[in-house]
Amino acid sequence: MRFFSLLLLGGSLVMPAHAADAQNWLSRLLKAERQQSFQGVFVYERNGSFSTHAIWHLIGQNGGMRERLLKLDGSPAEMLRVDGRLRCVSSTSADQLIEEGAWPPRPLDPQELTNWYELRMVGESRVAGRTAVVLAILPRDQYRYGFELHLDRETALPLKSLLLNEKGQLLERFQFTQLDTSTTLAKERLEPGPACRPVKVLSAEGAEQDSWRSEWLPPGFTLRSVHAQPSPISGETLTYLMYGDGLARFSVFIEPLRGVPVEDARSQVGPTVAVSKRMATADGDMMITVIGEIPLGTAERIALSMRAAGEKAD
Amino acid sequence: MSREALYESLSAVMDDEADELELHRVLAAGRDDAEFRATWARYQLARAAMHKELLEPRLDIAASVSAALSMEDTPKVKIENTPKARRFSWGMIGRIAVAASVTVAVLAGVRLYNQSERAGAEMAQQSTQPSLPIPQAHGTPVLAGYTEGAEQPQASSPSEAEQDANWHEKRLPAYIRQHAQQSTVNGTESTLPYARSSSLENR
Repeated sequence: MRFFSLLLLGGSLVMPAHAADAQNWLSRLLKAERQQSFQGVFVYERNGSFSTHAIWHLIGQNGGMRERLLKLDGSPAEMLRVDGRLRCVSSTSADQLIEEGAWPPRPLDPQELTNWYELRMVGESRVAGRTAVVLAILPRDQYRYGFELHLDRETALPLKSLLLNEKGQLLERFQFTQLDTSTTLAKERLEPGPACRPVKVLSAEGAEQDSWRSEWLPPGFTLRSVHAQPSPISGETLTYLMYGDGLARFSVFIEPLRGVPVEDARSQVGPTVAVSKRMATADGDMMITVIGEIPLGTAERIALSMRAAGEKAD
Repeated sequence: MSREALYESLSAVMDDEADELELHRVLAAGRDDAEFRATWARYQLARAAMHKELLEPRLDIAASVSAALSMEDTPKVKIENTPKARRFSWGMIGRIAVAASVTVAVLAGVRLYNQSERAGAEMAQQSTQPSLPIPQAHGTPVLAGYTEGAEQPQASSPSEAEQDANWHEKRLPAYIRQHAQQSTVNGTESTLPYARSSSLENR
């Protein structure tokens, strides 16, 4: 691990000009979403699903951000975010979300990202009638997926984002079909409809931060938050951990089984894998479920490496 | 029997040129030997690619294969009293039916690894809404959206497997949704996780 980082550090000292350019574009992208108002329509496509969405993104004069997203086909799912906080969401089920509170969101650091991904400019393209530059974000190991980003040449907004597996196969597509960065946004477009309900926010307290840990993580992934919440199904205490490497994310859910005979399971919804493994602990058997946009092998290995507090590796 | 001969038999089965004995050898190996099964799956993919076939074991195919298989016993009984020419043709039908059903089983296993190759065709066909993991008769959910007819060779006793399926089926959608939504809260960029999360809604 340490050797690996040193190797990468050495590599970054002789970073070619185009890599610096790529990093520059990534920085511009991060800034663009905080500074640029826009409205548009995009499609989202994954294996088994295709949907269209409208987005209104307003940067106020004081720098405040207000963003409304509306699904245009099927049920009109909606979401409103104000200054990075989820205000309301329309959803078919009673959802609960955890207040970030003690675990503030960590801004993406393009420089840090280059430890785990190779950034490369790979050419130009045209998306939604606009000229775009194509930025490849390639994983340096087999533990995560790569991205292909098409950034608007004028504003650096992401016009298209493809998630690719290790064979270069497409796992999901996000792509604008129309984008307007010049017209002033109508205020009423940023008002949520009646179906958009405030989310139930769970307090971030109650979890012992060291109750569970992972013996193995892919390089660059760190714990982003730990929570304990009642399981919406059984009412048992569900331990919920989130990990990320800046781009990719996965969640670990740990639920007591109380003697119920349940087998291991794996499934996949588009780019998201879910791996469930049964584990014996001093408190009885637990089901550990790893969910994330990561390769199946990575999820398997993480699930196997989870340990309850005080338990040693096998 | 040597490995090589086994793979030759496999080619023969896939070209519908295998004799009864070869077919049974291949079926037995496919049941017991994971490596062989993987090879078979690769052959199947390669062949499908060459023939530009769509790897799409839909319910109706599986159903018609089962129907063909259940009819298989009847012709065998008839063989005793039928003339030679007819016996041959009945035999062929039975054999092809068995081979086809094995193909379906193999494809079910291949799906996980094969999903992206088929993504284009799948996406184009998919006019309906996305679906979450569908209740599985035999336990372990496979790929959401392609679970129909999937065979689970490792399934245990029915009652246990049923409970197993229910346990995951109840929780996975909630887990996946929370993962996606929490990403919109904690993530730097929110649009992609939002799109993922809303693609899980309704069907």
